[in-house]
Amino acid sequence: MIFEKVKERISDILGVDADEVTMESSFMDDLGADSLDVVELIMALEEEFEIEIPDEEAEKIQTVGDVVEYIKEHTDM
Amino acid sequence: MRTRICEMLNIKYPIFQGGMAWVSTYHLAAAVSEAGGLGIIAAGNADAEYVREQIKRIRQITDKPFGVNVMLLSPYVDEVMNVIIEERVPVITTGAGNPGKYIRALKEAGTKIIPVVPSVALAKKMEKDGVDGVIAEGTESGGHIGELTTMCLVPQVVDAVTIPVIAAGGIADGRGMLAAFALGAEGVQIGTRFVCSEECTVHLNYKNAIISAKDRDAVASGRSTGHPIRCLKNKLTREFDKLEEQRAPKEDIEKLGIGALRRAVIEGDVDKGSVMAGQISGLIKDIKPCKEIIEDLIKDYQNTLNKLRG
Repeated sequence: MIFEKVKERISDILGVDADEVTMESSFMDDLGADSLDVVELIMALEEEFEIEIPDEEAEKIQTVGDVVEYIKEHTDM
Repeated sequence: MRTRICEMLNIKYPIFQGGMAWVSTYHLAAAVSEAGGLGIIAAGNADAEYVREQIKRIRQITDKPFGVNVMLLSPYVDEVMNVIIEERVPVITTGAGNPGKYIRALKEAGTKIIPVVPSVALAKKMEKDGVDGVIAEGTESGGHIGELTTMCLVPQVVDAVTIPVIAAGGIADGRGMLAAFALGAEGVQIGTRFVCSEECTVHLNYKNAIISAKDRDAVASGRSTGHPIRCLKNKLTREFDKLEEQRAPKEDIEKLGIGALRRAVIEGDVDKGSVMAGQISGLIKDIKPCKEIIEDLIKDYQNTLNKLRG
């Protein structure tokens, strides 16, 4: 459920096919994102899931799985 | 032309002098601050002791506000931030990244934080994190550059945030400054024009290279590394182009850049050194004192505004 929503946002913001997005995809290495894309994506996900991802945590996020895990731990979904 | 920036930073004119590594020393920054703008010392890749010494020196010359620019990719970034906090530097600007994790400590020290942003998303993120303003810097700038032009970036950032926006990239005279204000900016940051000032300590060859540069001479190199840099065309930029054409590994391209800025700024080697300069270089024709640069900017701004009013 979280993954589906995250996938949708990633596909919107990075302009990649939703099918290309897996839990293992690295934003920069596999999905062609640069650091500014990652900022935009994190802000969009913060809004969507009504959470705050502090910069110290955001720095550690490399893959789709990382961000899905973070959201899982910090929401009731 | 007093704006929120003037009130916030206690400066006469909303004109920042860009923080340029190796170029923006306390000599230049002090002259700009004395003339009513905001002089900015560049920390670049220098260590904490260098930065502390620069801060001491500028305070000996001027009691006006000044800033320090921190390059977030510097290996010394943490210790440089500590010095800025200890010394209670009035203003900090940042480049090459997201200064988010330093914001709280800087605010506690009373330092105003004004990051350089190349995109709307980072501007919004910075506002949310509590910074005091943002510098929207277009790709016309010299040195490390983003993708968007000043003309396109500034109004989009202005619409996205409520904090003051300073426009940078491609501004060297009063017309440019007025244009930036028309886009909604409340201040401008100027780099290349201040390199060609009497107080700037770069090698004379560097200043002369800017003065003789024409409209198409400031080119971007190293796009494939993800960190493109704008410099005046010379043997070095041609070497960069060649490596890129050969699709050389990122490491080889970056290696070519090591020490290149120092070579140009200090040794005056403008053939094989990195002469970082903006696209507006072609407009710059003389070397004059910072005070005159600022006064001419203001005069030109007013004249242009009057002309537009008809």
